[in-house]
Amino acid sequence: MSVQTEGTDTAGEPAVRKARIPRPPTGEDRGSGSSSRRAGAAPYLLLLPALLATLVLLGWPLVKNGMLSFQNLNPRQLIQHLTEWNGVDNYKEILTGSDFWKVVERSVFFTAVNVVLIMVLGTLIGLLLARLGKKMRLTLLVGLVLAWAMPYIAATTVYQWLFAQRFGVVNWVLDKLGWHSMADYNWMGSQFSTFSVIILLIVWQSVPFVAINLYAATTTIPKELYEAASLDGAGAWQSFTSVTLPFLRPFLYATTFLEVIWVFKAFPQVFAINEGGPDRLTETLPIYAYVEGVGNQHFGVGAAISFLTILALLVITSYYLRMVLKQEEDEL
Amino acid sequence: MKRSLFGRIWPNATAAVLFVGFVFPVYWMFATAFKPTNDIISENPVWFPTNVTLSHFKKAVDADHFWTLVVNSVTVTVLSVVFSLVIALFAAFALARMRFKGRRGLIVTFMLAQMAPWEVMIIAIYMIVRDDDMLNSLVPLTVFYTMMVLPLTILTLRGYVAAVPKDLEEAAMVDGCTRFQAFRKVIFPLLAPGLMATSLFGFITAWNEFPLVLILNKDIEKQTLPLWLSQFQTAFGDDWGATMAASSLFALPILILFIFMQRKAVSGLTDGAVKG
Amino acid sequence: MKRKLASAIVIAGMMVSVAACGGNDGKDSGKDAGPGSWKGQTLTVWTMDGSAPPQWTKDVQAGFEKKTGAKVKFEIQKWDGIQQKITTALSEDNPPDVLEVGNTQTPAYAATGGLADLSDVKKEIGADWTPSLSQSSVFDGKQYAAPWYFANRVVIYNKAIWAKAGIKSTPKTRDEFFKDLETIGKKTDAEPLYLPGQNWYFLDGLIIGQGGDLVKKQGDKYVSNLSDPKVSAAMETYKKYASYSKAPKDKDEATPQQAQVFAKGKTGAFIGMGWEAGTAVQANKAIEKDLGYFTIPGETAAKPEGVFLGGSNLAVAQNSKKQSLAKEFLKVALSDQYEGELAKLSGIVPNKTSLQSNLKGNAVAEAAAPAAAGGGTTPLIPEWAAVENTPNPIKSYMTAVLNGKDPAAAAKDVEGEINKRLAQQN
Repeated sequence: MSVQTEGTDTAGEPAVRKARIPRPPTGEDRGSGSSSRRAGAAPYLLLLPALLATLVLLGWPLVKNGMLSFQNLNPRQLIQHLTEWNGVDNYKEILTGSDFWKVVERSVFFTAVNVVLIMVLGTLIGLLLARLGKKMRLTLLVGLVLAWAMPYIAATTVYQWLFAQRFGVVNWVLDKLGWHSMADYNWMGSQFSTFSVIILLIVWQSVPFVAINLYAATTTIPKELYEAASLDGAGAWQSFTSVTLPFLRPFLYATTFLEVIWVFKAFPQVFAINEGGPDRLTETLPIYAYVEGVGNQHFGVGAAISFLTILALLVITSYYLRMVLKQEEDEL
Repeated sequence: MKRSLFGRIWPNATAAVLFVGFVFPVYWMFATAFKPTNDIISENPVWFPTNVTLSHFKKAVDADHFWTLVVNSVTVTVLSVVFSLVIALFAAFALARMRFKGRRGLIVTFMLAQMAPWEVMIIAIYMIVRDDDMLNSLVPLTVFYTMMVLPLTILTLRGYVAAVPKDLEEAAMVDGCTRFQAFRKVIFPLLAPGLMATSLFGFITAWNEFPLVLILNKDIEKQTLPLWLSQFQTAFGDDWGATMAASSLFALPILILFIFMQRKAVSGLTDGAVKG
Repeated sequence: MKRKLASAIVIAGMMVSVAACGGNDGKDSGKDAGPGSWKGQTLTVWTMDGSAPPQWTKDVQAGFEKKTGAKVKFEIQKWDGIQQKITTALSEDNPPDVLEVGNTQTPAYAATGGLADLSDVKKEIGADWTPSLSQSSVFDGKQYAAPWYFANRVVIYNKAIWAKAGIKSTPKTRDEFFKDLETIGKKTDAEPLYLPGQNWYFLDGLIIGQGGDLVKKQGDKYVSNLSDPKVSAAMETYKKYASYSKAPKDKDEATPQQAQVFAKGKTGAFIGMGWEAGTAVQANKAIEKDLGYFTIPGETAAKPEGVFLGGSNLAVAQNSKKQSLAKEFLKVALSDQYEGELAKLSGIVPNKTSLQSNLKGNAVAEAAAPAAAGGGTTPLIPEWAAVENTPNPIKSYMTAVLNGKDPAAAAKDVEGEINKRLAQQN
């Protein structure tokens, strides 16, 4: 499991590079030049199933969704299979309303808070794993894997129970710690407290992925690099910044990218905890699209919001995608 | 000396605290599931289940069609994981090992595909499936779950393929293997742990999926366990014992799979590295 | 008297059905082949959670099979998310053939074209349906559903706890009720009343009691009327009730099921539908002997509190391939025999006055009946159903007020959302 993220980015395959330092060219060996390497149609044939699947199973729904976003689609049209084009009315309705922009702002903020927490805690725990003795490391690894493996729906249910107003163990502990106003606290009562629970849940579930992979990556840092650094008189901090960090950088980029995507489009966790409540104050973009579209049966508007959601995700990740494009270019 | 003593204690102490933090919710789920109701709704939490009861589990399993849903969930999950691995393996091999025009564009395409927010496209998918007369069937579920996990599977496997030293493959080909034989005899065994590790992501995604099956399959005979779990929750309201028992049952296969595969995957990886 | 009426209905029914036979052949031939092909078919019927008692289901299945040779499969649906489920189902090729639709949501579905025209069924068996109960199913002059049952909320209370508090008789006015609740709070360790913050059907009843309404007409459009002082007054009453309860302010009566809370025996009373007593008994058999019911008291003893007349209709899906069989099912299920049985079993108000005698001796029904005259519904307009979609703005309004917000200000906060939904095109 250790090298899951790395694969998303050729530049980020530290575990993979193990014995091959200094940086070998990955994947593509420029010099190897065996004739089969340019085997005309072979790569396309190998890629065909994946491409077909993507085109049909993702492309088609995307196009369909795009088309729906220009339609007036409510229960009547859905039931009678009517197609009523209404131009950009749906987009106008969304973009001129105040809700949408509030939700966008909230989603960006929500993603940022989560990703920062996940990356910082994940990195720290990953580095801690590298420092631990064998037994303790194994123990912590087991704990991390358990949290990581919990299916979202089960995890969400468990968190609802942990934070239950009556008989919830969190309120009990806070009460005993002297916070008596928390004895019967309703965590779902306000935007801030609901978000706190959701963020805790997401961070708890996501940190193990970062920590375990980061730990695996650090084990591949060749010892010689540290020795060289200490010969140069570097302290612990300096060897961290001059050896560890540069080595992990591609990995950190790739993981951050993945976490941004995952958190931004997180649906079951956010929705199941409090259905976007109280008063729709914890709706992020995917929830908003779902509530307006499916929940409120305003399917055309829902399609338009989901289109805008995809657009927002593209904008947020564009920096990283550009970087990947460039890198791949360099390599070929 | 003094510093190293402190230096030895704090990582262990921190690790212990973290361990408790990460494990507690999982522990509490199982503990609650085994406790009699009086111990669950008690003014002071009962930290360890002393009077173990299986009644909550019984209630959870007694739900209508439980075993049908189990079979459906397992079928859909296993099939979509297998399909996505097979399709991804081809693609990953091409992307990691071959040079061709458009390679870069394809990698970015799969990255983009990985970003697709499936939950918000649900009505579009519903209408497609409905108009193809495929509602209340496990086929569309399997097919769409395969697609949900495919991009990340390709990108991850690509890393694993790239990690298999090329010399091995070339040596095999010098020995007279065809490219395909070289792949099957040399690369594939080295990839096995990578495949297992990658499959975990697919298992989680397909096992958890919820909004799509909710809208596509109204026929309870064709539904999956996440619906059972969520309906269970609304039906039993504040019956936390039964709810936690259901959650435990739902989580258990994935927890076992993870612990099992994680070890295999990691050890396989190091083995591979040593051999390489 | 009763017998006479019944026989009159039977005769009328026979005449209509004879007449209907003549016209039926040509009209339905495209849809399904009629009586001859019924044998061996299975009809799918969606009923809502709590609507059809098992005994009734069994009897109707038997009666239907005897008459048509076809089977009925009942599928019980949850209220949560039901609108989405019905909408998508009605758009499919194989929808449930018959489905229960809540009366507040019926006009919207009638307007979508997803429900079959039942005017011929009405002609046959609906001559004496209580007009006010059938009203929600009529759209554009056509009958899109058949009234099935109606009910209004009552107070369900725990006699043991009330006795323990030393209360001898049930309250006749709202103030007496409050006083009793206070006594229970003082003299027992029970929670006097279980009333979650979002039981908006109860609030609707209070609004009806004040003579107010949830919407008003502005030009040719409907808009929110929550800022009406009558609504505020009703909400203040609700708040006073809620002050006797420790129930969560941001939950409705179904999460958790209030009857299950009550079943634990530590709650003095709750405001609910008659069938919820059955839920309580199912959860805890021991509670059965302590169950009591009374009419929700109004301001004066002469006039009980206003109530929301909840009800359900049975409709046939337009896309059903077994429409004539489905209509046959309605004729069986809504026949005096089974409609009467349902009234007897569940204590609900049947769809015609002549069947009300079945309610005699039924404690729930006797508690519910006095208030029914002053009952009302949500606005019976197609635009209304959208307001009930989750997240329901009325529920947000209630939670806000219970958390200390001024009713007028809280109304202002949700007005935009309500108006948006009322204006939503169909």
